[in-house]
Amino acid sequence: MSGTGSIISRVRHNQFSKTFFISLWVSLLLLPFAGPRIAVIFFGVVFFFVLLVRLIKKTASAEPVSIISSRIRSMSGSIYSGRYSGFMLLIAAVASAAAPFALTSYYLDILIMACIYMLLALGLNVIVGYTGLLHLGFAGSYAIGAYTYALLNTHFGINFWLCLPVSALASSAAGLLLAIPALRLRGDYLAIVTLGFGEIIRIVLNNWDSVTKGPNGISGIAAPSIAGISLGNLHLYYYVVLAIILIALFVIKRVEVSRTGRAWMAIREDEIAASSMGINITRYKIYAFVFGSLWAGVAGQLFAAKMQFVSPESFTFMESVFILCMVILGGLGNTYGVLFGAFIIAIMPEALRGIDSYRMLIVGIGLVALMIFRPQGITGGARRCR
Amino acid sequence: MLIKISSINVSYGPVKALKGVSLEAASGEIITLIGSNGSGKSTTLMTVSGILRPDSGDVIFDGFSIAGLPAHKIVDMGISQVPEGRRIFSGMTLHENLLMGGFSADASALKQRLEKVYELFPVFKERRLQLGGTLSGGEQQMLAIARALMSGPRLLLLDEPSLGLSPVMAQKIFKVIKEINSEGVTVLLVEQNAMAALSLCTRGYVLEGGRVKLYGPGRDLINNDDVRKAYLGE
Repeated sequence: MSGTGSIISRVRHNQFSKTFFISLWVSLLLLPFAGPRIAVIFFGVVFFFVLLVRLIKKTASAEPVSIISSRIRSMSGSIYSGRYSGFMLLIAAVASAAAPFALTSYYLDILIMACIYMLLALGLNVIVGYTGLLHLGFAGSYAIGAYTYALLNTHFGINFWLCLPVSALASSAAGLLLAIPALRLRGDYLAIVTLGFGEIIRIVLNNWDSVTKGPNGISGIAAPSIAGISLGNLHLYYYVVLAIILIALFVIKRVEVSRTGRAWMAIREDEIAASSMGINITRYKIYAFVFGSLWAGVAGQLFAAKMQFVSPESFTFMESVFILCMVILGGLGNTYGVLFGAFIIAIMPEALRGIDSYRMLIVGIGLVALMIFRPQGITGGARRCR
Repeated sequence: MLIKISSINVSYGPVKALKGVSLEAASGEIITLIGSNGSGKSTTLMTVSGILRPDSGDVIFDGFSIAGLPAHKIVDMGISQVPEGRRIFSGMTLHENLLMGGFSADASALKQRLEKVYELFPVFKERRLQLGGTLSGGEQQMLAIARALMSGPRLLLLDEPSLGLSPVMAQKIFKVIKEINSEGVTVLLVEQNAMAALSLCTRGYVLEGGRVKLYGPGRDLINNDDVRKAYLGE
């Protein structure tokens, strides 16, 4: 690419009509809800922004950086890697540590939920992002964690910390049970089986009245405590969740760069090649299911302890899709990206509460737009460029 | 004999792909399998590497029966396959591709083999951080071979390494195969390019319809009238 002039003309030729149709599509989508006036305004706004973004992108890529180095940079990670990583981490650390002091309990509540979703997204990312196995029933694993704690706590009074490994193990065990039939399947078929798994768990919880109290749910679940001090208060509970996320992040990152992590990525890229490298595909797929589900169990327990109430309606198929959206939005296989995606999707419905009836529409449009402009997710998934 | 395949039958569902194929390779040989499409060349390789399982018959490697073992165990025993169509990990860097090849190796062996592979393919060393998918076809084939060497095989299975490559590049690949072989690795080569493969090999097998039709030293096969007619275009 040469000068700026030719870039702009290129944008005109190649991108103008595409931008036009995208804006038109968005405004047509809005038309029945918002009336013609807002639709036209939206058309203008979207058109302007999309064009702007595309121009910036074109100009940026014309910088005289060697193609390979820029490619490596964009592949090996995201805004989090490279020169700014330390700085970004510091900001994130300070912001997350200080959050309870700056936020009202309403926002803190949302933030805690966002953190629980982050944990779920991290777990699902192991299965979908690293290993490339489409899992549509992750809410099932989440529910098992939540109900394990709910039942053990209300019936036997087992405390939060003792129960945490039990919930994690229960979810992992369910992951193992799911993995065994799922291993023979790929792609669409696997998706259906996992979807069935999620639904089976939910329906069992809904109908097994004698144990789970069916749709009425289980209430009176205890919050965690340390040395007799209850951590049920939102401010304190936030730190419990934060600590667990940090542990999860650390562990998952370690596993990602380990031999197991490499095996997962090889399976994702090419199963046949992976097996001819000497990777036991069956075993590593099972590992992925078990290890990913483990975090769903932990997240489930955190959810149960926060709400102090669980019912099957928190673990519907929509919930699974929601978690999957977070993983895809953040960037499949990119650990930090997934955290970011989970955060965005979890807070979006609340952040947009001001515009009330349009909010789910905006979320939807945002997702579609993202898939058009950055199909690899916000932070551009891990090394995947196919 | 390093490997001895004795009358294996392999089928894909109702379709019989191999009907009693037997072949053997002594340590240090280059064995070529040629034959038309569907004659069972790739099937033979995939049976040896454990991706397919024979209905009957046996594969003896170094005195052990390996027929029906899972692929990853066979790799550990010292058989490495370069699959047809290369199948490199396109989203991983060159270096990571090589690391994957040495998946079962311990750290010291891995380091040693990496050095050796970089010595054999010096161009890879400077490009180690490049993504596999950004390599040209020929380079990808080289990478696939390099990756297969990372497991430290005694027997290397190559499935149509010259597929889709320019004649110059194909020549380079054959040169590399010769070089690898001269370091003591036994090679089992499946090729469409019969002329090149037969002049490279110590012995060749001609497959037809899932059976071994002819076998013998490469020279003899090149001079065989039937082979010339069918595979060398004369």
